[in-house]
Amino acid sequence: MWKLADKELTNRLIQGTAQYPSPEILCESIRASGAEVVTIALRRQSPKDKAGARFWELIRGLGVHVLPNTAGCRTVKEAVTTAQMARDLFGTSWIKLEVIGDDYTLQPDTTALVEAARILVKDGFEVLPYTTEDLIVAQCLVDAGCRVVMPWGAYIGSAQGLTNKFALMTLRKRLPDTTLIVDAGLGKPSEAAHAMELGYDGVLVNTAIALAKDPVSMARAFGDAVRAGRAAYEAGLITPREMAAPSTPTIGQPFWHSERRE
Amino acid sequence: MTSNTQSIGIVGAGIMGRLLALELKWQGHTVTLFDRNDRDGRGSCSWTGAGMIAPYCELEAAERMITELGVYSAQRWPKLIKKFAEPVFYHSRGSLVVAHPNDRNELERLRRRVIDNAPRPDIMEEVDGARLGELEPELAGRFPQGLFFPFEQHMANRDLLRAMGKTLETEGVKFVTGFTTQTISSGEISDGHSTHTFDRVIDCRGMGAKSDLPELRGVRGELFYLHAPEVNLSRPVRLMHPRYSIYIVPRPNNEYVVGATAIESDDDRNVTVRSSLELLSAAYTVHTGFAEARVKEASVACRPAFPDNHPRIHTADGLIRVNGLYRHGFLIAPALSEFIASYIQTGAIPEKGKTLFREA
Repeated sequence: MWKLADKELTNRLIQGTAQYPSPEILCESIRASGAEVVTIALRRQSPKDKAGARFWELIRGLGVHVLPNTAGCRTVKEAVTTAQMARDLFGTSWIKLEVIGDDYTLQPDTTALVEAARILVKDGFEVLPYTTEDLIVAQCLVDAGCRVVMPWGAYIGSAQGLTNKFALMTLRKRLPDTTLIVDAGLGKPSEAAHAMELGYDGVLVNTAIALAKDPVSMARAFGDAVRAGRAAYEAGLITPREMAAPSTPTIGQPFWHSERRE
Repeated sequence: MTSNTQSIGIVGAGIMGRLLALELKWQGHTVTLFDRNDRDGRGSCSWTGAGMIAPYCELEAAERMITELGVYSAQRWPKLIKKFAEPVFYHSRGSLVVAHPNDRNELERLRRRVIDNAPRPDIMEEVDGARLGELEPELAGRFPQGLFFPFEQHMANRDLLRAMGKTLETEGVKFVTGFTTQTISSGEISDGHSTHTFDRVIDCRGMGAKSDLPELRGVRGELFYLHAPEVNLSRPVRLMHPRYSIYIVPRPNNEYVVGATAIESDDDRNVTVRSSLELLSAAYTVHTGFAEARVKEASVACRPAFPDNHPRIHTADGLIRVNGLYRHGFLIAPALSEFIASYIQTGAIPEKGKTLFREA
């Protein structure tokens, strides 16, 4: 069991819901991975008129926790308004806060992000901000009242994996009491496992599952990888050594066997 | 109910309803077609379509089943068009898929999906910049690589609807326009004032059947009709992009259809600024000649889809409902129409279409 904000969960994979071949395959994928939290975008679906209601109902029918996001928002005002609409629509104070600063890379505008986070926390939201791996920004988000911070692994949808592992490790070390989720950029289950081995509390995956040849099997693979990575972290990984350390004694072997051949 | 001549009432005169009306008429049945719109099909999803018969390119987002129905339909279209009372803008010149250098992985993704899902090796050609320039001279030097699908087709959807409307008239199909359907049941169609009775009723209403098919949802599609005198493309061109994939489909006289968004929404109001920016910027990156193009129309439709995005044919005594053609109406309607006509004629579900049928 672990806690995301104030919810007790068993599964540490959070799944996005965009780009799937069909809602049915999306639902099967969520069942296969066992994800208990899924993100939903609403910016483009005329939320005031509930025009996307059919799609949302299908996802709600799975009995998962819905984490609405502010995908597509570029300013503080847009993000705050979208979050407020999401709260009314989905009856949740959770919001995955995205404020995009660059259209090509979808890189977050971290200045606006911190400002929007402050406003939303004051308004009673549980803010889960999508940010870069920058420690100072993460610290500002924590100071703004975020209990969860979600740094990227790489650009959204890029499948580049953990491009700045050392910064992610620093974040984990420096923010031990904050729930940290790697959000965006993961392409392979092994990368999800790697994030978990670093001590991250969870990962958020969308494109790598949705665009896979077989999304349902890929969802299961990510679910397994996240479980394996977490188990490895809890089991305590050994520290790598500078040289090989044989696991069986070498006494009795002629010394020249250990000489390197050039 | 399987005698050779039946009276059949069809509600919904989009591509599915029209084609089915003709097909059943040609089989010798007495057919009446009802629609809330006019004879040309304005207001239907088909009016907003791009008219691409691109079963392989569609693998970009669709599954193998749609490709199979599309390949089958692509064989039928040329024969069907020959039987229509008016000529239709229709070409079999294949289609091209390109991507900007930064997005070449998107091409690779489509290439792999085609290899995984389509058995014949000759349906796709990997082209370099030079070959691309041979196929579409105005794209020479713009893209280093692309994919060419030689067997794909395109047609002018509105021409086709009009020609089919004319054919319905010459073939003697009664076409009731401006009809507001209230209820459809076994053998009966009612507008609340009068009830029309038939041996069999076929519901082809798309989103109009939402209350009878609760799983149906709308997926908003937006597209632009442009007049671009500076652009000369002879076949559909698709641009692959991680977020803003578009297609550009030629029409006669330098007109082009640029589409389309796919938004989980049943809002069918006007095109949004964001969608306009995405679609038109993407078109401009394919060919700068679009800068001075005139926007003739921005069109919106909510395509009817079931949760698996596959079509369904519900059958019950005296009533068939066909729906969920999603964004694939022109691509798959000839296959569905043939399956349904065969079912009506023989009383047996045809082997080819058996996964689509749901019996009450």
